[in-house]
Amino acid sequence: MATVSFRDTTRYYAGVDRPAVDGLDLEVADGEFLVLVGPSGCGKSTTLRMLAGLEGVDYGQIHIGDRDVTDLPPKDRDIAMVFQNYALYPHMSVGENIGFHLKIAKMPKAEREKRVRDAAELLDLTQYLDRKPAKLSGGQRQRVAMGRAIVREPSVFLMDEPLSNLDAKLRVQTRTQIASLQRRLGITTIYVTHDQVEAMTMGDKVAVLKDGLLQQCDTPIGLFARPVNLFVAGFIGSPAMNLLPATVDVDGVVVGGTRLPLTTAQRSGLTSDKVVVGVRPEGWDTVDPESGITGVVEVVEELGSDQYLYCKSTYGGPDQVLTVRTPGMAPWQRGEKISLTPKAGAVHLFDEASGARLMDS
Amino acid sequence: MSAPTDTVARAAGPGRATGSRGGHLTRKRRLFWPFMIPALGLYLAFLVLPTLATVVLSFTKWAGSGDTPEPNGVDNYVQMWNNDSFQYSFQNTLIYVFAGGIGTFLLAFLFTMVLRDMRGGKAIRAILFFPNIVAPVALGMFLGFVFKYQPGKQGLANFMLEHVGASAAKFLDPANVTWVVTASIIWASSGFFITILMAAVDRIPPYLYEDADLAGASPWQKFRNITLPLTWDVIGVAGVLWTINALKIFELVFVLAGPGTYSPPNQAWTLGIYVFDRTFGSNGTPDFGAACACAVAMIALVSFLVVLLRRLMRRDVIQF
Amino acid sequence: MTTRVMTPPPPRVAKPVRKPPRKPKAAPGSRRLSPLRLLGSVIVWAFTAFNILVLYWLISASFKTPVEIFTKPFALPYQWFHLGKPFRNFVYAWNNAGFGDAVITTVVLVTLATVVTVAVSAPAAYALTRLGVRGSGGLTNVIAIGMGVPFQTVIIPLFVVMSKIQLDNEYGLFFIYVALSIPFTVFLLTGFFRSLPDELEEAAAIDGASPTRTFFSVMLPLARGGLITALILNAIGLWNETLLAIVFLKDQSSFTLSRALFTFYGAASYQSEYGGLIAGVAIVVLPMLVLYLLLARRIITGLTLGAGK
Repeated sequence: MATVSFRDTTRYYAGVDRPAVDGLDLEVADGEFLVLVGPSGCGKSTTLRMLAGLEGVDYGQIHIGDRDVTDLPPKDRDIAMVFQNYALYPHMSVGENIGFHLKIAKMPKAEREKRVRDAAELLDLTQYLDRKPAKLSGGQRQRVAMGRAIVREPSVFLMDEPLSNLDAKLRVQTRTQIASLQRRLGITTIYVTHDQVEAMTMGDKVAVLKDGLLQQCDTPIGLFARPVNLFVAGFIGSPAMNLLPATVDVDGVVVGGTRLPLTTAQRSGLTSDKVVVGVRPEGWDTVDPESGITGVVEVVEELGSDQYLYCKSTYGGPDQVLTVRTPGMAPWQRGEKISLTPKAGAVHLFDEASGARLMDS
Repeated sequence: MSAPTDTVARAAGPGRATGSRGGHLTRKRRLFWPFMIPALGLYLAFLVLPTLATVVLSFTKWAGSGDTPEPNGVDNYVQMWNNDSFQYSFQNTLIYVFAGGIGTFLLAFLFTMVLRDMRGGKAIRAILFFPNIVAPVALGMFLGFVFKYQPGKQGLANFMLEHVGASAAKFLDPANVTWVVTASIIWASSGFFITILMAAVDRIPPYLYEDADLAGASPWQKFRNITLPLTWDVIGVAGVLWTINALKIFELVFVLAGPGTYSPPNQAWTLGIYVFDRTFGSNGTPDFGAACACAVAMIALVSFLVVLLRRLMRRDVIQF
Repeated sequence: MTTRVMTPPPPRVAKPVRKPPRKPKAAPGSRRLSPLRLLGSVIVWAFTAFNILVLYWLISASFKTPVEIFTKPFALPYQWFHLGKPFRNFVYAWNNAGFGDAVITTVVLVTLATVVTVAVSAPAAYALTRLGVRGSGGLTNVIAIGMGVPFQTVIIPLFVVMSKIQLDNEYGLFFIYVALSIPFTVFLLTGFFRSLPDELEEAAAIDGASPTRTFFSVMLPLARGGLITALILNAIGLWNETLLAIVFLKDQSSFTLSRALFTFYGAASYQSEYGGLIAGVAIVVLPMLVLYLLLARRIITGLTLGAGK
């Protein structure tokens, strides 16, 4: 078992002046499930590959436990990785695939076979041990890739979008399997994905990256409740947070008829009087037409348990679309007028110019 | 084309000017023979018929033009087998096929290990490929200069040998020439086989090699566990090509081992030279019957080796 | 499990301004030298250097006197330049080997033979791959087997028959070149035609184009890359072909380049005209080298495509 820490870790690619990963500082506790999430090209896979030793580190260090592994070759890092395409050897059977790393490490045959059998049992693969990967379904292949990581009994698991090749239903299923397997084994895991739902549901902690820079690392609840900047606010949560421009005066800021005073701490974060007010879809109350933000319901998405209303409004600019979550089976119709005001405590404030959250304390 | 797509296509295109797809297909099929006949005709007339004729003629006694072929059973084959020149030719051809083949493929394998992730690999491949576009005659002459032995006027190889203090070697003596030719063939043709194999290696997904890196596999283990099994089929095809090409080697040896205009000493012969010499040779009178017998031996040897190779290399298809 | 409430917003300004390294660091371990890798690298570089050296030697030697060739193989040519006749060797080879006629014969013969080969092979390859005629696969294999037949096998009957009908000259050679190039060309082109999508052909049929018209105005243009590759590969092969030229060309005035070089070799080495001889080799090799430098990618992919199937 081990902690993982990135210390000012930086990675450049040949011919590109901007680093792919820029001064990353990140601590992962022992046994923790950390998800790296961000849009494509944000440096999350590069981070993982640096940790695996498949990429060099240009500045800074990486530690696993108390060891500096920055310059260690992959095999000496005590890690195992699950690739996006599983990287199964097409000419080897499932058993040979799972045991390949042990064979390279020259483990005696008897012990190797025992470990392969145990892993296969854990992952429900015993009956497929003699098959070739081409004869397996997507989910089975994914499990073989997991098995190959598990038999190494590493101190850190690395997973690079291991679910992206599965269909939607299987993905949700496998998501829980991986999460519970990780909890059971208690092995520190770094998991890369571009899907924020995956990140929020699986991780103990989630690190959001953008353009090679770490934006925020927090628990899913922390990320959701207190996004540190506009990017995280917009990226985490589905549907995304509503972001409305507003102006601050001496009394605070007015949104949809509700006046919000600013604390001293919040005022100190201001760079001008322009702010952005963030309200999640579930953070709205519907009110009388005179007092709130008015709009017209354009689309009604009925999910059964919930309902999402996409409303057109002219508040804060033309063609503003506001997303509102209401209980399922609510009687909203397309074309109806709606008037909204944020619930108490559901408002996030950001400085418009810097994008940073105005911290309340 | 499978039946389902057929149906779909038919359903998708009603009211088409040409009527049903079936009608169109028949009209298309009518093109088959007009399109095939020129190529097939030339193929039959210049390759199949002459080959058959050669087989028939190999069982006749026939000196050449002016003489008429007379059946003489397997006499040609018996005489050929007991002939020194044929034995040298046969032996040398086998040396070129096997020693040259092993050398070329070992070299190509070694290169695949290094070239896969090497910067400038593409340029290096193009440079290695270069001898393959040079006429074998020109290559033979050129190598003749390289291996020339004449005190005071040493070729490139001996020039360098003498430069480092070694004594010059008579590379092109009949006793050595087979091995010099083998080395030359390996040099000249390895570029082609490296290119073929590298094209196959480039199709292997890179993450397999990355996984092997994580496992800590050495270059040899990566080659043994990934490259070799996943390029196996291409290696098989390359082996067939090698066999075919090595068996018909003629110009290179003819020019390199001999004075150029007439045949080299018979210790250096290949089967190709044997046929040529028996047909137009300056060493004695032509003997078309014997030449045909040797030509048949060549084609039999090619067939045998190719079938053997395919049998040895056979295995299940791998998808990746 | 520790829960840090929040990381501060990225302290972008606080970081030292970094310059991107000239070369990003390689992955750890990838530069580790195993004996096999070391051996391989050494051989790769030695091999590459050797090929470049050989090319340099060939080109420089074609401008040298025999003495220079043998005593200073790596020096730049001097003597002929000093005497003001830098192209002396080329002039000698050109005049004494009869290259003047040979160049014309070769260019005309190779051009015609390649064009006719492709013109005959393309319809056949199309018919074999896209008409859905039963037995096409078998027939394709039968033609492909032709690639394995050594020319020596067909020489005698062809030679006898061709001399009988007085075609043992460049005209007869033209037919033989075309016929013997067909197996490889058909094989190469079937690969190209097979890779074309069905939709375009079907669209043309829906528009009412006749099958012949579809072939000429839709399929041929689509397979253009393959046709050009076939032209180039055949051109190189026939330009270099010597055995058949030796057998079928008797008259010096109708010699092809490689045939002329073959004859010139004996005469020139007898007279120790090594400079002229190397210039002769260079005359045969350089056009192909130029073609190769221009089209290396297409030549290589074409050849490997033909082989990789």
